[in-house]
Amino acid sequence: MKRLLSFLLIVAILVPCSVSYASETIKIGALYTMTGRGGQYGKDSEAAIKIALDEVHKKGLPGGAKLEVIITDDKNPQYAVSVAKRYITDEKCKFLFGIISSAIGLAVTEVSKEHKVIFIGTDHAATDLTANKFQKYYFRSSNNTFQSMMAGAMYLKDELKGWKKIAYIGPDYAYGRDQWMELKWALDKLGVQYEVVGEYWPKLYEPDYTSYITAIMKAAPDVLVNGMWGGDTVAFIKQAKPYGLFNKMKYFHVDAGGNYEVFAALGADMPEGLILSARHHNNWPDTPENREYVQKFYKATGRYPTYAAQGAYVGIHMIAEAIRKVGNANDPDALVKALEGMKIKCPEDPPGFTSYIDPQTHQIVQVQAIGTTVKNDKFPPAKYMLGNFKVYPAEKLWPNFEYIEYITKVKGK
Amino acid sequence: MRKIKDYLPWIIYFIFFIGLLIINPGPHYIHLAARIIIYGLYAVAFNLIYGTTGLVSFGHALFYGIGAYVTGMLVKASTPELFYLYILIGAFGAAFISFFIGLLTLRLTGIYFTMLTLAFAQLVWGLTFKLYHFTGGDDGIQAIAKPTLLAGGVTKYYLFSFVVVTISIYILWRIKRSPFGSVLSGIRQNPQRITFLGLNVYKNQLKAFIISAFFAGIAGGLYAGLDGSIHPDMLHWPTSGNAILMATIGGMSTFFGPVVGAGILTGLEEIVGKYTEYWSFYIGIVVLIVVLLFPNGVLGIKKFTGSKNIEEKEKEVVCNTGN
Repeated sequence: MKRLLSFLLIVAILVPCSVSYASETIKIGALYTMTGRGGQYGKDSEAAIKIALDEVHKKGLPGGAKLEVIITDDKNPQYAVSVAKRYITDEKCKFLFGIISSAIGLAVTEVSKEHKVIFIGTDHAATDLTANKFQKYYFRSSNNTFQSMMAGAMYLKDELKGWKKIAYIGPDYAYGRDQWMELKWALDKLGVQYEVVGEYWPKLYEPDYTSYITAIMKAAPDVLVNGMWGGDTVAFIKQAKPYGLFNKMKYFHVDAGGNYEVFAALGADMPEGLILSARHHNNWPDTPENREYVQKFYKATGRYPTYAAQGAYVGIHMIAEAIRKVGNANDPDALVKALEGMKIKCPEDPPGFTSYIDPQTHQIVQVQAIGTTVKNDKFPPAKYMLGNFKVYPAEKLWPNFEYIEYITKVKGK
Repeated sequence: MRKIKDYLPWIIYFIFFIGLLIINPGPHYIHLAARIIIYGLYAVAFNLIYGTTGLVSFGHALFYGIGAYVTGMLVKASTPELFYLYILIGAFGAAFISFFIGLLTLRLTGIYFTMLTLAFAQLVWGLTFKLYHFTGGDDGIQAIAKPTLLAGGVTKYYLFSFVVVTISIYILWRIKRSPFGSVLSGIRQNPQRITFLGLNVYKNQLKAFIISAFFAGIAGGLYAGLDGSIHPDMLHWPTSGNAILMATIGGMSTFFGPVVGAGILTGLEEIVGKYTEYWSFYIGIVVLIVVLLFPNGVLGIKKFTGSKNIEEKEKEVVCNTGN
């Protein structure tokens, strides 16, 4: 009897609470690498999510709904899959979000497919997810490696004259291997004649690149392509500089080489004239939108963003826009329709262009700007930033169905 | 009376894992229980080598991973309907590899054995990572389909895992209580005496190593079906370390201790990971507490109060002294 009374009492207290709680909270379950080498990307994404949420809530969502983002450190694919399942079945999240590592992205997209829950990938770049491993509930808010490599091939064709010999160094795992495959495919398609004089596969997080640097010097390519990211890039550039590597060949690093963290870590040690790019630049385009985004980030965190932040920022705006179009977040198929073809203004969009979601592959289609390193101390602690940008039109980079067919043949569905 | 006491852990085991189905706390918790039960088998299989025989293998992830990869790759290459058979093939594959690794590593004792098992496991992990076109490299293999019977909600797969794990654990339990199991305990406690009794320590250790690898392979195969994705992390050293942690936390001298350890470690990871990114720090604290305060593991707590039996008295004998 006592139990029944206390139960009724609890119900009596809770029912009015739930009735008075009028506006809905839409949960987004995010997974990011928050510790270790990739931790910086997770932290930047978290900060960008907060900025985007403020903007979304200021503008408002249908029925006064609010977005709530839960972030968990993703650790490894097995753990990430179990967290993603928990987000869906226990936390009742309407969206899965984020993820730095492509391996984890590939595992989680299967969860999204199985549970029919939309997954917005914000940072992992493996082309597979919007090509051979495409599934209708997956969308990506940042460029894939193919887009960078296609733009890179165009740069190599049009901007660099008189080169023939090319060498590649990249981490020995899918990300490194894929970039090289994509660049060669794109060069072949553009009819560029080249000779590969060396391929080097150091381990990810390799601390000493000396043996590779001497081998590269000996092979003497005209162009050295690098496919590393983060601290590996910093270590490689620092170690290669005393050997004079950058005076003897063109250094070309267009997927993650121009990420702000590299400029911040190298400071004055960054050589001049390296050909780099990234999925977002803090100093390009010089539009009010990009300036505002970078300043907001700086104000919130006291540092400038890496490219991971833009993916997360755009991802939240994509979700908000889709909810506005549909009116709620309860029908994933309607949300998929709303997201397909959606135009979304990103900080990296130059004047006159708005990024959009390709309806067939669910990949965001954005321009790629490739530049060379020049002195610029407006974004401390960096002493160099990119300049002399060459901009490659978004629609020439993606979708490329010929490549999708090729990758499907090589890697399977 | 003694009989009931002997079967008490089994009764609790059944009440807990079947009871969970009756309560039905939702798909997430059923999935969590499936993970616990699969890790539980992995840890119990490992404990045959560790707690029973007294060999600290730091390479058991290799057998767990082989089970997972063989199952996953065969399903991808053919049909998911033969999934059950592939789990068995994976387990036999793990046992086959363990025969050769055991032949080489069991010649050594103590830290040398541990390091060599670690080296072999890391070697295979490295291969899995690098044979990009064969194993999918660090991307792993995704979309491993379940057979029609197990497709759909997680409850069916949980039930299937429960049956397979229970049969496997029962076999391991019988092995531990068999004369062969007594020989293994003897090897842990005093290998010289086993030799004097006319028994071959090396051969018996090898047998235990192969049996342990076989059941670790089954656990790996089951995990491949649970999430439908596998990854080189399953072969990496932290997975081997997890087996040691689970057995140590739960109680390496008890049969069901590793299952309890698997529950604690997986549950902690789940709960702590929900609230902080520094989950490993808290797990480290729990491990420290267990190791410092309950050196016999959670299931070994009662032993502080009760009188020591022969096994406990002999436990002080240094593990894995070899022959």
